[in-house]
Amino acid sequence: MERIKNKKLQNLFKGIIKENPLFVSVLGTCPALATTTSIEGAIGMGVLFSIVLICSNILISLLRKLISEEITTPAYIVVIAAFVTIVKLFSNAFLFELYSTLGVFISLIVVNCIVLGRAEAYASKNNVLDSLLDAIGMGIGYTLALLSISCIREILGSGMISFGKILTFIPRFDIPILKYVNSVGEVVYDYSIPLFVQPSGAFIVFGAILAIISAITSFKNSRKKIKEKIMLKEAK
Amino acid sequence: MPDWGYLIIAISILVILAIVFVVSFILYRKTPVPKGCENILIEKEKCSVCNNVSCPIKRKENK
Amino acid sequence: MDIFVSFLLAIISSMLIDNVVLSRFYGICPFLGVSKKVNSAFGMGLAVVFVIVLSTVICWPIYTYILVPANVAFLDTITYILVIACLVQVVGLFIKKYSPSLYKSLGVYLPLITTNCAVLGVVQSNSDLQLDFLMSLANALGTSVGFLIVIVIFSCIRSRFESSNGPKAFKGLPIALMTAALMAIAFMGLKGMI
Repeated sequence: MERIKNKKLQNLFKGIIKENPLFVSVLGTCPALATTTSIEGAIGMGVLFSIVLICSNILISLLRKLISEEITTPAYIVVIAAFVTIVKLFSNAFLFELYSTLGVFISLIVVNCIVLGRAEAYASKNNVLDSLLDAIGMGIGYTLALLSISCIREILGSGMISFGKILTFIPRFDIPILKYVNSVGEVVYDYSIPLFVQPSGAFIVFGAILAIISAITSFKNSRKKIKEKIMLKEAK
Repeated sequence: MPDWGYLIIAISILVILAIVFVVSFILYRKTPVPKGCENILIEKEKCSVCNNVSCPIKRKENK
Repeated sequence: MDIFVSFLLAIISSMLIDNVVLSRFYGICPFLGVSKKVNSAFGMGLAVVFVIVLSTVICWPIYTYILVPANVAFLDTITYILVIACLVQVVGLFIKKYSPSLYKSLGVYLPLITTNCAVLGVVQSNSDLQLDFLMSLANALGTSVGFLIVIVIFSCIRSRFESSNGPKAFKGLPIALMTAALMAIAFMGLKGMI
């Protein structure tokens, strides 16, 4: 019983750090670079993406015995496109500001490598509960990854974190960090670097994060090797 | 046109497109691979950067 | 004459100023995954140009003359992805049948064009922005040629830095992204053109 529970938990959490879709397997880079100019946009994109991923994973896992081997890819594309249309209409109706900020990138979830990849690699082989957990984990992992990129970009690029601009159901307020505008409207200090909200900033931030991750993994690997060497020596 | 008229049109458009898609997909599969291309070697360095799991080349490799 | 000038301006603006990869972020995956060989990058780019232009030519009439009059414009995304997938299959079929040499160099990579977001992105933005046929064509041509240019330049640069001795942590993707950032800054300088 304990083991089964552990396995389910592992299924859920592997998408967050160990197999993070954006930072470890580098999938879905297009929305990760385009929609991360503000924290709210990134959260919105992550949530919409997770909804599509969870729904399509559940449906594909339910239909996995019905879809014949010959036409797997077309069937998956149709299922994913249907859910994307639903999400698009939903955001157009209830979150219009988010819809107009993300623009084409809501539609582009259809061709996102993560959704199709999870459908083919996981949901088509596993039962509904496992694919649901997998999709939730992957969705959270992707959202957190988008959030971390957008935090760096918004703080460095615009100097403050603003809420309520895109997700309009939140009351509007700003948190000044690198830039402070007082109540009269004059700028008290401004140390922001506007390059980071521009396209090139996205590439720099994403590249730097990937470099840090690869440095950490190579450091861990080297430590593991040293430990193994010590163990070997002691055994001798 | 009644209210539900556009629903029928929508469903028929989707069905027609899906049928065309499946037919073209099966036709593509059934077309014989030209001579000399049966076993195209995958250039490993070409695929080292991209991690697309759904890519047909990678799937072949995993099998 | 006016139409011709605006057509040309639209092509240049979507090709250089608002470049697909470097400022609109479509098609990052094939951009980063492109090989060090300039030849195969050029082949991939040409295939993308062909598919983008052809799918725009097919999708625009479908949207304007079938989906909008029938009041089912919300079906655009699902229609486009199906049309693009069909198109890729049909193009692949013709290549398989009539040109074995082309199939040899391109065949295995053809299915990947379906999931290239540049194709769906261009077609979708054409209908989102309500462009007319000529402007849609200009957008498609400019975008796809811009993709070709950037992907060829990048494969040239890549062949240089793959052989050079950089920091260990930056090997592979990070240095490629940094290069892309520098290219994006360079392309930002073209903003004053129009």
